[in-house]
Amino acid sequence: MAEPIKLAYFMAVKEGTSYLGGLLVTDTSGIPLDFRYTEPITPTRLQSILYGKSLEPHLKEEVIQKTLLKELKTPPDLFILSATELAGGWSGDAKYPVLAVQKSQEAPLTKVGDAFRSGPRELLIQLTEGAAPLRVMFAASVDAVAQEQALGKLLEAGYHMDLAEPLERVTAALQSLVVKDS
Amino acid sequence: MFGRMKDAMADAAETLRQAFAGLTVVEAQPGPFLLHSHGSAALAAEPRAALEVPVAECREMRLLREAVEGRALEPFRTELRAEGGWARWGAEAEVIRMTPLEAGRAARVAVPPLPRKAQVLGSLEPPVRPATRRQLDPLLRPGTRRLDPRLEAVSVVSGLGAMLSMAVPIRGEDIHRLPKGLWMRYSLQLVRGTGENVRNLEVLGLFRIPRKGVADLSHDPRQGRILVRLEPAAITAPRGPFILARRKDDGALLSCFVEDP
Repeated sequence: MAEPIKLAYFMAVKEGTSYLGGLLVTDTSGIPLDFRYTEPITPTRLQSILYGKSLEPHLKEEVIQKTLLKELKTPPDLFILSATELAGGWSGDAKYPVLAVQKSQEAPLTKVGDAFRSGPRELLIQLTEGAAPLRVMFAASVDAVAQEQALGKLLEAGYHMDLAEPLERVTAALQSLVVKDS
Repeated sequence: MFGRMKDAMADAAETLRQAFAGLTVVEAQPGPFLLHSHGSAALAAEPRAALEVPVAECREMRLLREAVEGRALEPFRTELRAEGGWARWGAEAEVIRMTPLEAGRAARVAVPPLPRKAQVLGSLEPPVRPATRRQLDPLLRPGTRRLDPRLEAVSVVSGLGAMLSMAVPIRGEDIHRLPKGLWMRYSLQLVRGTGENVRNLEVLGLFRIPRKGVADLSHDPRQGRILVRLEPAAITAPRGPFILARRKDDGALLSCFVEDP
């Protein structure tokens, strides 16, 4: 029996002057298998001045993301970010295929399972009958072969779950944690 | 040497000029000074009588009866007499007596000595030179402090419990894509499990959910999915096909797990 696919969803949010991130691992039904989040990090004024514009990317990628990935007992099959995070230039660990998923407003493709490549690192996949296809964007570190492998896993998981929805759940959970702490 | 002589003569000339300053020059009549020639009368013999008879003249000696004014006893007074010529000259000219030469008023005037060295004027004073210092005081070495800008290691918290409290949407499988035989098998199990007539059942979806640990379940007909709230037991529980159906006569929801072949 094949090992079940694990999807890791990463999200980092800024609440006030604090940053915190969460990593949710789900199965192909979207059911949580693990969820870890960081304590809110509040940079000092001096750190904000010294880091400047690089503070937020550094916090999200070097501090929060790597810390959360170290906590994972088993590596995920796919590492899914928000489109915003990926567009910001993700430079994390390349052990997992890193990608972003985003709901599109494009016309549905012919049938479920079809894929339309709109760029070397971007494609549309049809996961449900009659619905708008899902936009998938891969990180620069994911080559074409890895993209094809990841595409098969996405189709399999997308058959049972909404691939973009867990990111919303992570965001909501982080926000509720911040409110609870404050 | 000649310079001093010249200065001394200049001083003497200045003294004389001051002494005789203000003299009024009056034009003198030349008459008295003109020579006049007079003819001398002819000598004439004037006969005189013979010797006159001596005549004795008796003189009476008056006694001193009145106090004689003791003029003779008066002390001699000195009288300064000017020379006549000068007086005549002075009638025409104004004699000015030099005050410094008056008796008792004369004073020795100390003539200040001439400077031995002429003072040279006109040269500008040299500008004040700024005070120079050989070196500035060295700046104190500032104390250095080390402030590590690194962000502290962040701690990670497991929040699976919090995540499980959130509803998990599970999409239903497309039953039309299932093999017909498999669907027939599922349908039979649904009828057995619910005890309803298959014609009275409307299948809402086939979902794969954990067989244990489902705390709550609701149906989202608009998106064809169910929302489940799970318990920790659901994490490790096996997933199984779950059929959700509605009874047509009263709309009640029915559900049951079915077995995979």
